[in-house]
Amino acid sequence: MRSFRIGLLLGIRQIQRASIWATILIIIVMTLTFLNLIAVSGVLVGLLEGAERAVRENALGDIIISPKDAEDHILETGSLIQELGVYPEITHFSVRYSSAGTLEANYKERRNLGAERDTASVSVTGIDTVREDSMTHLSEYIVEGEYLDPNEEGKILLGAYYVSQYAEQYGDVFDSIEDIHPGDTVRLTAGDVSKEFVVKGIVQSKVDDVNLNTYIPEREFRRIFKRYDRNADQIVIRLSDSSSNAPIKASMVASGLAEYAKIQTFEEGLPKFLTDIKNTFDLLGTFIGSIGIVVASITIFIIIFINALSRRRHIGILKAIGIERTAIEIAYVLQAGFYALSGSIVGALLTYTVLIPYFDKYPINFPFSDGILVADPESTFIKFAVLFFITLIAGFLPAWLIVRQNTLNSILGRK
Amino acid sequence: MNIIDAKDIHRTFVTGELSAHILKGVSIKVEKGEYIAIMGKSGAGKSTLMYQLSALDHPTEGTILIDGVDVSTLSESEQTAFRLHTLGYVFQDYALVPDLSARENVMMPLLMRGIAWNSAEQDADTMLDSVGLEHKYSNLPNQLSGGEQQRVAIARALAGEPKILFADEPTANLDSVSGQQVIDLLGKLHKEYNLTIVMVTHEDEYTKDVGRIITMEDGQIVSDKKHTTKKNPTRKTASETIAKTKKKSARKRATRTKKKD
Repeated sequence: MRSFRIGLLLGIRQIQRASIWATILIIIVMTLTFLNLIAVSGVLVGLLEGAERAVRENALGDIIISPKDAEDHILETGSLIQELGVYPEITHFSVRYSSAGTLEANYKERRNLGAERDTASVSVTGIDTVREDSMTHLSEYIVEGEYLDPNEEGKILLGAYYVSQYAEQYGDVFDSIEDIHPGDTVRLTAGDVSKEFVVKGIVQSKVDDVNLNTYIPEREFRRIFKRYDRNADQIVIRLSDSSSNAPIKASMVASGLAEYAKIQTFEEGLPKFLTDIKNTFDLLGTFIGSIGIVVASITIFIIIFINALSRRRHIGILKAIGIERTAIEIAYVLQAGFYALSGSIVGALLTYTVLIPYFDKYPINFPFSDGILVADPESTFIKFAVLFFITLIAGFLPAWLIVRQNTLNSILGRK
Repeated sequence: MNIIDAKDIHRTFVTGELSAHILKGVSIKVEKGEYIAIMGKSGAGKSTLMYQLSALDHPTEGTILIDGVDVSTLSESEQTAFRLHTLGYVFQDYALVPDLSARENVMMPLLMRGIAWNSAEQDADTMLDSVGLEHKYSNLPNQLSGGEQQRVAIARALAGEPKILFADEPTANLDSVSGQQVIDLLGKLHKEYNLTIVMVTHEDEYTKDVGRIITMEDGQIVSDKKHTTKKNPTRKTASETIAKTKKKSARKRATRTKKKD
């Protein structure tokens, strides 16, 4: 306790009397280290978090109802939809019918019947255009043309990757049709049924489920794909409070809806590889950030070492007048702690009041995601604790090295 | 009664294949309340002897008893604790902690002894008053003259109520006026506190209050003579003097407070 009291006094006075510019510089270094630790992994995780957010907004919603593993479609879809009405937390939902078909374009211009046809294998989704738009705001992602009107027939929306001019940057990755624009006619074939559609619009989003899809009204879908039982392939649900999806899902399961379909929260519905990539990115970010910690700890080591070395004589004098080594070591550890704490506080303030709100408003435009900065308080605190602890060690070691030297040698400046 | 009893002290410094035999069998006894000066030319071994006597160094050979404790066998941490409770130091270049005010410098050994903060502050102020630095409690060392800094160092050395005060050329970095003031102060403290003082110096003019002069040459004592000083018939003990100074300081502070009001 006595040593701590003296260490505290010595440490505080050293910080107070130090050059203000040197102190600011050290705090900036610590702030950058903290940001490096938080931001690198935060952006990497945010890349996927942004993608997840987009999938949640544009495709899957908060709760996903899909066919049970042994079934092709959701059973008793009509009753199930009626059941959804008893949940006041549900703000929107969309019922989807999906299948695969072949899309053919430019067939009217084809003069040579032996030439290759301009076709693409496509996913087709039948939707209630109003419900789908209120659920996923699909109309906001129209890059050419217009969204489907309710009750109109013979119109189709094409996902951007099925249209060559949007897919060409990806080479031959996607099966696409050539030079199609709104107003052009395409032919959709499913089994022995073919129907001509006029392209109403082209949709493009950060979500591949949208880019690799074609949308037609559900009535036409049922006719083309002969789905007269009205059993859907997917129902996606939006809640007033996204975070309450687990209890709502549990309630749905408890009420017996799981008898007809598989009910999953958004998180459960995500493919496992996405969660794995997210964890890998987090690990990668932490690893890169750790290099920053090593650099910062070396910086602190050098700063404290030079500081203690330049005061070696005073350290000797303090020992000569009876001040314990521990008190002097505490003074230097306290300084290191002060730098780490100040840098982390500034870094945390910047992260939570500037960077996160900024990237939320202006996400980084990655090809498959609107990248945000993710820094949950719990992992931020853990990283801060690691940085703080390592900095304390980096402060203690040089102080220990200098303080343990022979008292008289320190006073006389002998090696 | 001998407060220092050193027998056959040898100190050899070895650097690689070179060795320097600095102290060659020095024996010395110092009685409680003595004020002695160790003199000699540069390289005579006077500072090295003082470091052995003051438990800052270990002799290569020989034994040193200080207040009955064999300091040559103490570990470093034991030596530190021993120095805190028994010895006081005044170094030639003042050796104050530059980041601490005069008061805080004096408080250091008091706090280390476990004295409460407020009491340590009051005691430090009293000690500074006793060395004539009444209005310089909050000054940093670089805001004090050399003589004032040395007086703070003396106040710090005395704050722990040491049994022996070691002064290593305390006037070496001072002009003659400041040097004389410091020597007068040491003489006054010796008389008032009945303090044992061991001072290393090479200047004869500063030995007027000294009771004994030990002269060294080439690592050996070549003369050990009594030195005539005027005895103070009414010597007080250290605690009596501190109590008196505390009362005086309290009166001064009370007067200052009244004036402010």
